[in-house]
Amino acid sequence: MLRTTLAGLRAHRLRLLLTSLAIALGVGFIAGTFVLTDTIEAGFTQKFAAAGDRIDVAVFPDSGRRGEEEPSLPAAALEKVRGVDGLAEAQGLVRGTAALLGKDGKAAGDRPTSGISIPEGRLNRTVIAGGAAPRNGGEAVLDEGTAERHGFKVGDTIAVLDAKEVRHEFRLVGLVDLSLDQELVYTGAVGFTTGTAWSMTGAEGFHEIDALAAEGVGQEELRASVAAALGSGVTVKTGEAYAADMARANGADDDVITMGLLMFGLVAMFVAALVIYNTFNILVAQRTREMALLRCIGATRGQVFGSIVLESVVVGLLSSGLGLLLGYGLGAGALAVLSSLDVPLPAVTPSLAPRTIALGLVIGLAVTVGAALLPARSATRVAPIAALRTQVEERVFRTGAVRVVAAALFLVAGAGATVAALSMPVGQAALVVVMAGGSLVFFALLILGPVLVRPLSAFVGWVPRRLFGVPGRLATDNSRRNPKRSATTTVALTVGVTLMTLIAVLTGTLRVTYSAKLDEQFPVDYMVQPQDRGSELSRALAEDLRSRPELTSVVALRGAVAEVGGKGAEYEVGTFTASRDFRPSLESGSIDLLKPGTAVVANYVAEDLGVKVGDRVPVKTAEAGTVELTVVALFDPQRASLSGVTVPEAEFDRYFGQVGDSSIMVNARDGVAFDRARAAVDAAADPYPTAKVASSTEVRSEFDESLDMMLMIITGLLGLSVLISLLGIANTLSLSVHERTRESALLRALGLTRPQLRRMLSVEALILGLIGALVGVALGVVYAWAAARTMTTDVSFQVPVLQILAFVALSGLAGVVAAVLPARRAARASIVGSLASG
Amino acid sequence: MTVTGEVGAWSARESGAPAVVAEGLTKVYGQGDTAVHALRGVDVSFATGAFTAIMGPSGSGKSTLMHCLAGLDTVSSGRVRIGDVELTGLGDKQLTLLRRERIGFIFQAFNLLPTLTAEQNILLPLEIAGRQADRVLFDRVVETVGLRDRLGHKPTELSGGQQQRVAVARALISKPQVIFADEPTGNLDSRSGAEVLSFLRSSVRELGQTIVMVTHDPVAASYADRVVFLRDGGLVSELERPTPQAVLDTLMKLEA
Ligand SMILES: Nc1ncnc2c1ncn2[C@@H]1O[C@H](COP(=O)(O)OP(=O)(O)OP(=O)(O)O)[C@@H](O)[C@H]1O
Ligand SMILES: [Mg+2]
Repeated sequence: MLRTTLAGLRAHRLRLLLTSLAIALGVGFIAGTFVLTDTIEAGFTQKFAAAGDRIDVAVFPDSGRRGEEEPSLPAAALEKVRGVDGLAEAQGLVRGTAALLGKDGKAAGDRPTSGISIPEGRLNRTVIAGGAAPRNGGEAVLDEGTAERHGFKVGDTIAVLDAKEVRHEFRLVGLVDLSLDQELVYTGAVGFTTGTAWSMTGAEGFHEIDALAAEGVGQEELRASVAAALGSGVTVKTGEAYAADMARANGADDDVITMGLLMFGLVAMFVAALVIYNTFNILVAQRTREMALLRCIGATRGQVFGSIVLESVVVGLLSSGLGLLLGYGLGAGALAVLSSLDVPLPAVTPSLAPRTIALGLVIGLAVTVGAALLPARSATRVAPIAALRTQVEERVFRTGAVRVVAAALFLVAGAGATVAALSMPVGQAALVVVMAGGSLVFFALLILGPVLVRPLSAFVGWVPRRLFGVPGRLATDNSRRNPKRSATTTVALTVGVTLMTLIAVLTGTLRVTYSAKLDEQFPVDYMVQPQDRGSELSRALAEDLRSRPELTSVVALRGAVAEVGGKGAEYEVGTFTASRDFRPSLESGSIDLLKPGTAVVANYVAEDLGVKVGDRVPVKTAEAGTVELTVVALFDPQRASLSGVTVPEAEFDRYFGQVGDSSIMVNARDGVAFDRARAAVDAAADPYPTAKVASSTEVRSEFDESLDMMLMIITGLLGLSVLISLLGIANTLSLSVHERTRESALLRALGLTRPQLRRMLSVEALILGLIGALVGVALGVVYAWAAARTMTTDVSFQVPVLQILAFVALSGLAGVVAAVLPARRAARASIVGSLASG
Repeated sequence: MTVTGEVGAWSARESGAPAVVAEGLTKVYGQGDTAVHALRGVDVSFATGAFTAIMGPSGSGKSTLMHCLAGLDTVSSGRVRIGDVELTGLGDKQLTLLRRERIGFIFQAFNLLPTLTAEQNILLPLEIAGRQADRVLFDRVVETVGLRDRLGHKPTELSGGQQQRVAVARALISKPQVIFADEPTGNLDSRSGAEVLSFLRSSVRELGQTIVMVTHDPVAASYADRVVFLRDGGLVSELERPTPQAVLDTLMKLEA
């Protein structure tokens, strides 16, 4: 029996390869994910360990109370550490904000860069990637990413703002690699000597203190004595523990990525399972006579079953092996791409961990054998007598009661869950229920597939029947002559298309919903804000903007946090400067009522404090003590950009002093071209390095870009499943072609030309592709709608029609492409030879 | 078109040249040591409006000859003419169109597309050619082969004899210049076989159809007007107005 199976496998090497490829792609993706994340993680762990090696003890401040500034260690703490017995050396690290200026003289980047100290001597953990560490107050270093982004190189002069926004110049003497510190990677950093770092950032004390033990003193020993010297309020770690903690935190980040990627891998494996299941089903059907013959000559049911399972084991092992190789290639390729994109990655050669190999083999084998079990069971049902029948029986499909009942159960459960979720309060739970409902409905479709194929192929085939004459008609008939086979083939494609449509509709909806929100929250052409959101803009800037003829409706907002309501709750108390015609939309009352001694209050503040129009609220001001204000109007912060508690302009100054503006909104005057208005705003902002100008178009396009990016990545990852399902179509088709060899020969004898025969198969594939896509689109759109409903209340549902049409068209096209090889083989076959076969 | 008109169309051919002519036909499969000479210089012609049977021992080259005559296979040397068209040298596309327009086929088995009904199968060649069915002829053919009440059935719902009758009807409906039949009754019992053969003969008598049939069965051959005998790829003998006994005698002589 074993010999028969192996001989059979060898005889159909090509078919085997095509089937294996489906599994190999899935396994490859999963293995590739592990190769990629393992390698990155290994690289970081190695780096953390190297960094940890350089220190014996690290001291951190315990995180302070909420709302407090970044906690720090007092300068005296360093002296205390230096006084500890068994210490060789100790250094304090300074960290704060020091905004680097770009070559245009404006603060570089969206966020101000961090200013850090680069310690000297053995305790310097910073990896100098080029040049040298700063040695005096006139020298500074930049992290590699920031230097590259803003075009600075060693030897250049860089300008940095200190805490009081005074400009200082430094010579750039080196570049440092800060890839270990996520916070610094995010902000970018300028490194100074310790003294300069203090003066530039205005920070007091240290962010961290590192220490080295004296000869013969253990890390733990030193840690204990340092901890004893410093008392409470600080965390003291050994170098080893420090490295391990960092690696663990980083690993947790990686796990999120791994899980995300694995989701796509699992979807791919599911699709691959469908493909394998279908392939084995067809093979069993085609070899009915072979099986029957084996049974005739004495093979038991078990032996027949075993031979199919054995075949699947061979296929599974082969494809998992192939998948692991593929995965290694994918992982290495992804690493190469990432590093060519300048993603800071440690240089480590990619490796296949034993866990990855085991997992790949187990998953590949389990999916293949699992998918082959049902076909193998149906092979055992072949009666020996079937060997004697000449013409292969057409399998007549009848809709069984079990199928209908099962499908109905799934459908009812799925639809029920979905409807229930829609009436649940907006949130994560509702979303999960909707997705569960969607999965149930999908399984109902899976079960019901063979029943749906007939009407769907009649629907989809309507045009080809008329357009392509006899080949078109024959193709439509062929597409539904084996409903089970067609259904499984198309469902594999449906999975990918459903998810793609879901994502496309969700992002489309998100885009429109956000755009509507943006119009409310950013109802202006330009917004000027300080780079560091916590700081202020000079009041002169708003004045300058008002004086420019290209611009109009300049509204400046300023505010301060103060206790409101007398119960300790703090809110932003602010004001605005604007021309008389500024009319923010209020829920009740009018902006004209805002007089000294009154306030306009955001509805959420009023709700928190339990006040309504006419009530009085106490506000604890910085300069005028506690004042009692009468609430004269309420507003919705979604619709009017005002401080939570808004008071008249002059009163604000009396309460809080000369606070600068936190943001300025500007409109272009009617009829002024976009670039002229923009130039005017830029010119006004030019003298203020930290004043960042944003236009509503920019904000929108940034958001659009990030959405597009996300859509692209997800669609790309789902593309794998679609690719696998296309392999499935190609496989089904080539098996069908094989099975219909004599039919094709007959048609050719009767006068069907080669191109017509090819067209017949292409149209069949087209129909299969379109059916899969249509079901996917329908399911995707419905569930995107349901999902969007569970995410926010006021969604503007948006179906990106063009995109979805493109999905459908591409699926059809891809089906046709999948049919190219089988169709060529069919058309090439000699008529005489084919007539004789079978 | 009237019934007389059709008969006219067929009888017009009777007076003309032979429907199919082969000259010096050879067919070699493979090369060198393993080469098989399936046909070794066959000269034969088939008269228009006649029913000719090809006989010979197994492996004598009957099927090969038929495939070459019908343009299903290429010849190694020699010439084949169907009507006034020279087959040798035609490309696949032209051969396909020629089969579509001028040739009908009946095979031993697997004659019908399982997805189509009997009626659709009968009309298939016309549809492929993009020609309109002649309803009068259709009715007559269907009547002749006795399939009126079976037209809506799929092949799997028909008996073997019925399936072959559908194939005969299909071959007749496009009024081809010649019908090639390879052991059309090989899979049928003698009664169904006799039915099919009678239809073939009556279509020659009444419609003036030209038919070339390969068979092993002396009784089947006796339905023909003429029998040609093949041995080892060569034409060795022929009989006019054969009786089963005469055919059997000739065969015995050949195999001796
Ligand atoms: N494709 C092929 N390749 C090689 N040899 C072939 C091929 N087809 C037929 N032959 C050989 O050519 C010879 C004639 O075969 P053919 O099929 O024409 O015989 P036949 O008279 O139809 O026999 P039967 O009565 O058994 O059908 C045989 O010897 C056969 O083995
Ligand atoms: Mg033969």
